[in-house]
Amino acid sequence: MKLFWQPTLLAVLLTVAGCATTAKHQVALTGNIMVDAPNAIANGPPRDRVLWEYRLAAAAMRQGKFDLAKQNLDDVLLTLGGIYGKDKDAQKARSYFHAEASKTFIGEPYERCMAYIYRGIIYWMDGEPDNARACFRSAEFEDSDAEQHQYAGDWVLPDYLDGLITTKLGGDGLDAFKRAQADVKGVKLPPYNLKANAIFFIEFGPGPTKYATGRYKEELRFRTTPSPVMSAELRVDSLQIPIAPTDDVAFQATTRGGRVMDHILGNKAVFKSTTDTVGNVALIGGLATAAASNNRTAQEVGLGVALAGLVSKVVSAAAVPAADTRSWDNLPRYLSFVSVPLPAGQHVATIQFLDASGRAVPYLTKTITVNITTTDRDKVVFVSDTSITPQTL
Amino acid sequence: MNSLLTKLTVPACGAAVLALLSGCASGGVKNPSGVPVTHMNADEQGFVAGTGMESQDLVMVTDNMSRSILGIPQIANAPTPPTIVLEPVDNQTRFPINKEIFLTRIRAQLNSKARGKVTFLARSQMEALEKERNRKREGTVTASSDPNLQEFKGADYFLTGSLQGLSTRTKAGTSDYILYDFHLIDARTSAIVWEDSAEMKKQGLEDAAYR
Repeated sequence: MKLFWQPTLLAVLLTVAGCATTAKHQVALTGNIMVDAPNAIANGPPRDRVLWEYRLAAAAMRQGKFDLAKQNLDDVLLTLGGIYGKDKDAQKARSYFHAEASKTFIGEPYERCMAYIYRGIIYWMDGEPDNARACFRSAEFEDSDAEQHQYAGDWVLPDYLDGLITTKLGGDGLDAFKRAQADVKGVKLPPYNLKANAIFFIEFGPGPTKYATGRYKEELRFRTTPSPVMSAELRVDSLQIPIAPTDDVAFQATTRGGRVMDHILGNKAVFKSTTDTVGNVALIGGLATAAASNNRTAQEVGLGVALAGLVSKVVSAAAVPAADTRSWDNLPRYLSFVSVPLPAGQHVATIQFLDASGRAVPYLTKTITVNITTTDRDKVVFVSDTSITPQTL
Repeated sequence: MNSLLTKLTVPACGAAVLALLSGCASGGVKNPSGVPVTHMNADEQGFVAGTGMESQDLVMVTDNMSRSILGIPQIANAPTPPTIVLEPVDNQTRFPINKEIFLTRIRAQLNSKARGKVTFLARSQMEALEKERNRKREGTVTASSDPNLQEFKGADYFLTGSLQGLSTRTKAGTSDYILYDFHLIDARTSAIVWEDSAEMKKQGLEDAAYR
């Protein structure tokens, strides 16, 4: 009996160790974000919930479903606001044997900024400009800890709109305007026009996505796809207004600099590499020693070293330094903004999206019927180059 | 042979345990069975906390403000209960909030503790009230008094406030300071007859996985 308990125990342990994670929270995707996202939010891994809420919110805004976007963004902002302190999933993501993607996804700073910007737009639509301003301030705040200080808090639109709303509410928005003007590149921001009651938010181009490089995919990188659209033009009533981009989301993604997590992933990669090397040396050396020696003790020592090498190889194989490449992959590339004074009544606005040569990309033109019911409150219009058309807002 | 087997088993078992822990740990879900609902007091800090405004802050601030208002001579010594209209609070912080909740709670505290010392006017309901009065004037509905008399009260005071913030974010963490300021304005003279404030500062640091 004594002869069998150890191998039996060993066999049981090895068998149980093979109980890999059963596939939980697997969601079949259809390719339609309006179907996949609610399904993934309800049935997918909880750590991906915010990612799907981000994607659904952006898609909903482009379909004019602002209530749906609001609902998802509110849940997102609740998560963003409560990430302080101990988090077991984040702790796991930092450990050697779990991927960074184990943590609850909240996005990189540029993604969190966009969540606040979108929610701010909806607050403004709902007649809550001060809450909109709060969101724009939070958007800027999310970007305030860049590795290179020159890129900290350098979004343009959140600062510009902070100042505009403050001015509209009777305060002094000049400081915010100056910050925005200092950060914008190649564009002179228009001074605040308190009579401009129709606010158009414009976005276009494909946003950045993430990928990983490095021996163990531990280095997070951002992929930027060239945008076919480089500017836009608004036509409403007798007005024809060119719209240049004020913010480049890809620029924000790539200039934030290194993350603390990058150092942790680097350490994981070193650990993985070191244990692998040690394992190889011990395995080969131990087996060679055991094979070459006629001495029983030396053979046993050699086998023991080889076994230790095997353990080191197993540990190395189990180490996961891979960076988290989950992306809010339906973000835009460029953001812009224009405000015009429109009297009460119905107005048909046409937004053309222009290529690098200034030619309209015909299949992207959007037509929005804007109903101004009162000039006492701003009318906020959101238009993307991927928005449905026509719309009545 | 037995000695060799024994020597091999221990490290091999160790490796298996390691693999076992790795496999099971990576499959775990936090709180797979969920967390049962627990009843809490509104002035308690829960286990979910951020650096923004939370219920315990709202309770503390509005309790302080309502006690403070009741002590001023314009309210305490008024021959008839003064009428007060609530004006929306101005949110100047970086936190989008339900602004009405502050004044709603102050009003509820005052109505509960003031014992008729103040009267609040439901200006948010004016449209519905005017429609009802017009129906009475037209004879569409009955009226218990002469509907042609002007009985809607004017405000003696406006109660409003502002929330202002200072925020800092560095590698050491996030810090948010919020100043809650409320004031009572004389509707006739625009004088601020009462003002009080409360301030709160919170800081936190997220896990390195999020930095």
